[in-house]
Amino acid sequence: MNHDLSNSKSQTSTHLTVPIWIIALMLTLIFLGGVYFDHHSGWFDAKVYGPYQSAGQLAAYQPLSGEAAIVAHGKQVYEINCGTCHGPDGMGMPGKAPPLAGSEWVNAKGFHRLVEIPQLGLNGTITVKGQPMNFPTGMAAVGSAMSDADLAAILTYIRASWGNNADAVTADDVKAVRASVGGHHAIDGDVELKTIPE
Amino acid sequence: MKSSFPIFLAVFVALGASFGGFVVGGISQLGTEKQTTVLNSTDTYPLQRTGDATLGLQVYRAQGCAACHTTQVRQDGMTCDVVLMGAGKNLRAVQKVLGEIAPADKDLATNQLPKTIFSGVTKEVAGDNSDKLTGAGAKAEIHINATGADISRGWGIRQSVAEDFLWDYPVQLGSLRAGPDLANVGARYTMNLQLQHLYAPQSVDKNSAMPPFKYLFVVRKKINGELSPDALSLPKGIVPDDSEVIPTDDAKNLAAYLVSLRADVPLYDAPFTPTVSAPAEKK
Repeated sequence: MNHDLSNSKSQTSTHLTVPIWIIALMLTLIFLGGVYFDHHSGWFDAKVYGPYQSAGQLAAYQPLSGEAAIVAHGKQVYEINCGTCHGPDGMGMPGKAPPLAGSEWVNAKGFHRLVEIPQLGLNGTITVKGQPMNFPTGMAAVGSAMSDADLAAILTYIRASWGNNADAVTADDVKAVRASVGGHHAIDGDVELKTIPE
Repeated sequence: MKSSFPIFLAVFVALGASFGGFVVGGISQLGTEKQTTVLNSTDTYPLQRTGDATLGLQVYRAQGCAACHTTQVRQDGMTCDVVLMGAGKNLRAVQKVLGEIAPADKDLATNQLPKTIFSGVTKEVAGDNSDKLTGAGAKAEIHINATGADISRGWGIRQSVAEDFLWDYPVQLGSLRAGPDLANVGARYTMNLQLQHLYAPQSVDKNSAMPPFKYLFVVRKKINGELSPDALSLPKGIVPDDSEVIPTDDAKNLAAYLVSLRADVPLYDAPFTPTVSAPAEKK
């Protein structure tokens, strides 16, 4: 740039002071930089971080919302909302809550009763594994404020854990049952629970 | 000065280009970052820190923790596992496919499920093989894992992304790793262990190079020989039997901040498949 800015005649050069090979090298480096940039920038997408190279590749690596993902989420929500009484191992606690592990209510074919218990709450005597149990405080309607997806994840988790083996419950299932329940008092023990279709 | 205009122009371009690249570019790329949802769930991430943890960030800053600790996990790549979740109705058809793609698992019985058939393969290989299994009526899932040196050290499950730092001001990224990365330290240590580690680092990890932050604690005689509710439950031998260690507010806030450092959920920009048996404790 020197010769451009200079007005003095003595400094005027008649030929380029930069050798042509340096210019060629610069252009090659700029080209290679461009190629690297093209491969690694994700086009300034805020969501794309290395090692992902493009928004398309990132989308391809999204884990599917398979049952494992739902169960994992269900475990989290369960331990926060249910685990304090039913226990992180699903064994229940004396004087607080009945076990869920191996419970015939949890392993039932249908899910209607299972959705309604957290939705409405439960009082009175409930028979689990042939043993009638009565809990002074009953169960509050802890599930009524949860989203369909969260409640479905919890139910799927308890139905797939601690030796339980029943089908998954989807958010749509929960939604349908909730719509059919409407306003209601807490379920009154075995007697009323059995009047609800499975 | 005859060439003042070209000089001004050159300075303007040089400063303007770096301002544009570092400030304007950065803001336009990440300036509108907001809370997002955890993958495959309705949970919001990151949740606002509790009050004590917010104050704890300032303690972290004042104690110069960022001089020796980073809070950014790096990731070099990603791999896929193919997990067979269920054999479906025709176990023999599934076994036949397994005989072709994974001979070691060809005698698979249903009580061994779920079973990882392939691990550490690329997305393409995983997709092909899971399609083959699904074609035989089985239920197969592809699990995504983040890989890298930091992740194999157990410092995190995935790389750090912009959302992780949404509530941090100023962000304590750090650049030197005299100690381990803390991006996910809340998942490794409980509150009491954080406090014990601050008081006597070598009692938690005997090779630790961390200086003890004893001045964040008060050591005093036990009252009537009983531990106060706030006192640390330390292993024997750190303080005399008749003394107890009480954390100051600074120590409590700092520990609350450390417990709040928990980057262990999958996000759209940092995907992975969470394992059912709490990944945080396993690592």
